[in-house]
Amino acid sequence: MRKRYILNSEGEQHHAVIARNGEQVSVEIDDAAALAVDAAVVLGGRALSLRLDGRMHLVHLTGTDNKGGVAATLRGRPVAMSVLDELHALAKESLGTAAGSGTVTSDIPGLIVEIKVRPGQKVHQGEPVIVVEAMKMQNELSAAVRGTVSEVPVATGQTVNPGDPLVIIEPEPGG
Amino acid sequence: MSKRSFDKVLVANRGEIAVRIIQGLREQGIASVAVYSEVDRTALHVLLADEAHPIGPAPAVESYLHVERILAAARASGAGAVHPGYGFLAENAAFARAVEQAGLVFIGPSPESIELMGDKLAARRRMLESGVPVIPGTTAAVRDAEAARRAAAEIGYPVLLKAAAGGGGKGMRIVHAEGEVAGALRETMGEARSAFGDDAIFVERYVEQPKHVEVQVLGDGTGRAVHVFERECSVQRRHQKVIEESPSPSLTPELREQICAAAVRTAEAIAYRGAGTVEFILAPDRSFFFLEMNTRLQVEHPVTELVTGTDLVAAQLAVARGRGLPFRQEDLHQRGWALEFRIYAEDPSRNFAPSIGRIAAMVAPAGPGVRLDSGIYEGFDVPIHYDPLLAKLCVWAEDRPRALARARRVLEEFTLHGPGHNVPFHLWALAQPAFRDGSYTTGFVAEHFRPEALRPPLADADRAALLAAAALFEQSRRQEAGLQRGRTADAAQASSWRLAGLRDMTGRR
Repeated sequence: MRKRYILNSEGEQHHAVIARNGEQVSVEIDDAAALAVDAAVVLGGRALSLRLDGRMHLVHLTGTDNKGGVAATLRGRPVAMSVLDELHALAKESLGTAAGSGTVTSDIPGLIVEIKVRPGQKVHQGEPVIVVEAMKMQNELSAAVRGTVSEVPVATGQTVNPGDPLVIIEPEPGG
Repeated sequence: MSKRSFDKVLVANRGEIAVRIIQGLREQGIASVAVYSEVDRTALHVLLADEAHPIGPAPAVESYLHVERILAAARASGAGAVHPGYGFLAENAAFARAVEQAGLVFIGPSPESIELMGDKLAARRRMLESGVPVIPGTTAAVRDAEAARRAAAEIGYPVLLKAAAGGGGKGMRIVHAEGEVAGALRETMGEARSAFGDDAIFVERYVEQPKHVEVQVLGDGTGRAVHVFERECSVQRRHQKVIEESPSPSLTPELREQICAAAVRTAEAIAYRGAGTVEFILAPDRSFFFLEMNTRLQVEHPVTELVTGTDLVAAQLAVARGRGLPFRQEDLHQRGWALEFRIYAEDPSRNFAPSIGRIAAMVAPAGPGVRLDSGIYEGFDVPIHYDPLLAKLCVWAEDRPRALARARRVLEEFTLHGPGHNVPFHLWALAQPAFRDGSYTTGFVAEHFRPEALRPPLADADRAALLAAAALFEQSRRQEAGLQRGRTADAAQASSWRLAGLRDMTGRR
């Protein structure tokens, strides 16, 4: 499984692809070649120990919001980042039109690989509801609002086009 | 000197200094009493004390500055003495007097010493009489522009107009030429009247490119005093110290002897009791002048303790108990080098503006030569009401180059998430030639610091590690959102991730 992430760090945009093949994890940063990464969650969950090309990096990480904000510190150097997987990043860009919408849509054509919710189910804002595979990458789409799922007009294995409604959520008042 | 015994001490303070004092009391088998405001029930000093008493609402005037409430807590607890720490009521003569009138021991100097040193003009006159060098200037207040111009012409420009009751950088103006005197005097008097309720102004020579060197002293209250050597505190922002070191890189052995002797003369001249600090201005030509005396334990006392192998809180207790000075001058020596880095909740990129919030993560450095005096812990909410000093990170090593290398190692190990903080500022300072060679003056930050310097370019390997970590982090927290809903792990979760750790990591936002 490959997933692509859009990152913002100190005013620069980068992308990273995380590829998993069983226990093997590799990462491609921007356009560099894939690097095998050995990652361990350490310090009671407050940091990741990364072994990249044999070099050790202890990265302290704290989520700062539920919109992809991450505070990181590497050797005393704090770095504020935001990170979203590609589809979330695209969704965020088009948020101007779809802000607070209860309808989850895909911005790119793809294949529905997993539906995580069913009608009648309550979801919270930011909760992943459906997985769309595009360009060999799986992308989770999340609920933009908190509420109750009223309809899932697609099925696993179905191909969808940009803008197709995938999950429809009845927003909760005040949510 | 009568022996005064007490087996319980009320600590009239909060934060790292209250913790430091409570720890010192425990080591001596003395019970500790903390006081706390409404927002400090879970503050570290309260958690560590033997007893604790609430003293009112969050604003300091309603709690940590409220003399009656603190005395009521002392009475309720049966404490025999009060330690004021620094700040708050530490240099308030009325408080020291009220403590003594309540039949308690004040762990600090006499109210008269506090009063004398709180009045800069009176202190200047006393130091002149005692043969301690003071900056050339007037010994009485100037009331009008004509008197100020006459004084300035005699002293030579540039001069400093200074409020007699001033402190903390307030009530001061530099005047470069005669034409500026009248306006500057009007402004300074107005500022002094509103800030200190006293518009007495004096004129003194403005020393350019000054260094700030201070000497730790300890007096027995009967006219005998020792010095515990010097500290240099020239790295300041907004007239507040941020890095201190001992020894001072600016003193020759002869100069050290002279400046320390002047400090002892100062303490002996006023029969000083307990720990105090005599501050000096060191000019580029190596002349030095009395600046002021701080009649309390200083924030930066740990560097002195590290370099001299002393315990200044224990020394304060010994003097307060009437046991006299715990060490003789000839027993005191400087060994190695120590630096202190004040960790403030502030944002150096926004002109050091205070920053608050919950300590989301804190990983403190350890290992050889490290001392951390901290008032915080992971999960603690830093309140907005008080000084933003969170902790003091100190290092000791055999010499200055080794101490600087150790400081870098230790600052790189120190991780603090939540409020903004100044660890990146310290790492920047450590890399500056003017800091490394010890030539820095109190103008160091103004001359060299630019906020952009806090974000040195990242090495490619470091950037790759940060981006990879952030992407892995995002992936894990998406999975975690699913996990919390009780769903079964998908294929991606069959990895080496420790789920409990992930829950911890992602659950903190």
